[in-house]
Amino acid sequence: MELGALVVTQGATLRAAGNQEVGTWSSAWPVVGKTVLERWVDRVRSMQVNMVSVVDRGVSVPNRVQKMVEWAKDGVEQILVIVMGSYADVDLSDLVQFHHEGGHTITRVFDPEGPLGISLLDRRAVLRELPSTVAAKPRPSRYDFMGYVTRLSSTVAYRKLVQDALEGRCDIRPSGFQTSDNVWIDPTAVVHPSVKIEGPCYIGADSRLHAGVTVSGYTSIEKNCEIDVGTVLECASVLPDTYIAPGLRVRNAVVDGTRFEHLDRNVTVDLGPVALSAKRNSSTREIHP
Amino acid sequence: MTGRGPTIVQLPEAQTKLHRGLFLDEVKKLVCETYRPHLIVDLTSCEEFRAETIDLLLECVEEVEHADGRVSVAATPETAVILELTQLVSVLDVFSSVSEATNAAPVSVMRPVPKIAPAQVAA
Repeated sequence: MELGALVVTQGATLRAAGNQEVGTWSSAWPVVGKTVLERWVDRVRSMQVNMVSVVDRGVSVPNRVQKMVEWAKDGVEQILVIVMGSYADVDLSDLVQFHHEGGHTITRVFDPEGPLGISLLDRRAVLRELPSTVAAKPRPSRYDFMGYVTRLSSTVAYRKLVQDALEGRCDIRPSGFQTSDNVWIDPTAVVHPSVKIEGPCYIGADSRLHAGVTVSGYTSIEKNCEIDVGTVLECASVLPDTYIAPGLRVRNAVVDGTRFEHLDRNVTVDLGPVALSAKRNSSTREIHP
Repeated sequence: MTGRGPTIVQLPEAQTKLHRGLFLDEVKKLVCETYRPHLIVDLTSCEEFRAETIDLLLECVEEVEHADGRVSVAATPETAVILELTQLVSVLDVFSSVSEATNAAPVSVMRPVPKIAPAQVAA
């Protein structure tokens, strides 16, 4: 049975316009190596689904529906729609089996808090080729999921997912090698011998940690970051291509270039004018021997 | 030299070398004239907190600490985050307003004389 998957991302256009609101999670933020979007796509592809399309939420609904109609007309039997609003350890194969065995037309996935934005549609539902005995709008069946879920709602939720991934509470596994107890370091990262690391922590690809840096408390440093001499990172997430100045104490925060969000205080500060952090050029990665 | 309540100051708006020098001269004068000075730097209306502002604050703390005094800062939540990030909070007290900083001025309390047990007195 041929399956297609349509993944609808959240707010890429909003972010591109530089309008990210305080305390909101951006879908572009990686979680220990990969974004939630990349993880959804990987999971869909692992089910041997070759027809995967990723569209921005900014794309109008009729255009999204048009894509599904085209697939249905091309013979795709079932279409999995994932509207990015959560990360969930849903077993997609089990969802497909549930849908098939129950002879459902539309199956929507719920957890105890409500819908997760994951639906499986039959081509009949997409093309509206339903028997006349069935109402024009078929009633969706409900797939109740009781496993791990995090809604992509806030920066606090983002930090929780990072912590849960490092703690092994969900199916997300950090990229790179596990060097010791719950410490993952990408092989391309450069870590000075004097750096103190207390797991669980993650250090991503092409990142550089200078002498005297301390990393602890579920900290994640994503790809191509530079942490300068003596800076202490505790319960923090440093997003890709970020430079952090020497001698700082970064605690309970998410740093994205010059954007610094303090989670305890619920305050966002631009560190550009004080020269305490910067955006690194993602195209000029250092080459390590 | 006199002892008095806290002195409230504002950092110069234009942080040129000249303005910084004039400000530090004022701080030095205050330090000379006051016994254990307590300086409250009002940053609540500071629109642009720059790297130079951090340097100036540090110089200020250094001058005041030489006279066994202390520096408090009244700052917006954003500025308070920067002060925490740079670990300046370890050398100065941060408050959300000038009045809060003023009210938090320490009050000297005499330690009670420890009671002596009768056995110790007899010995």
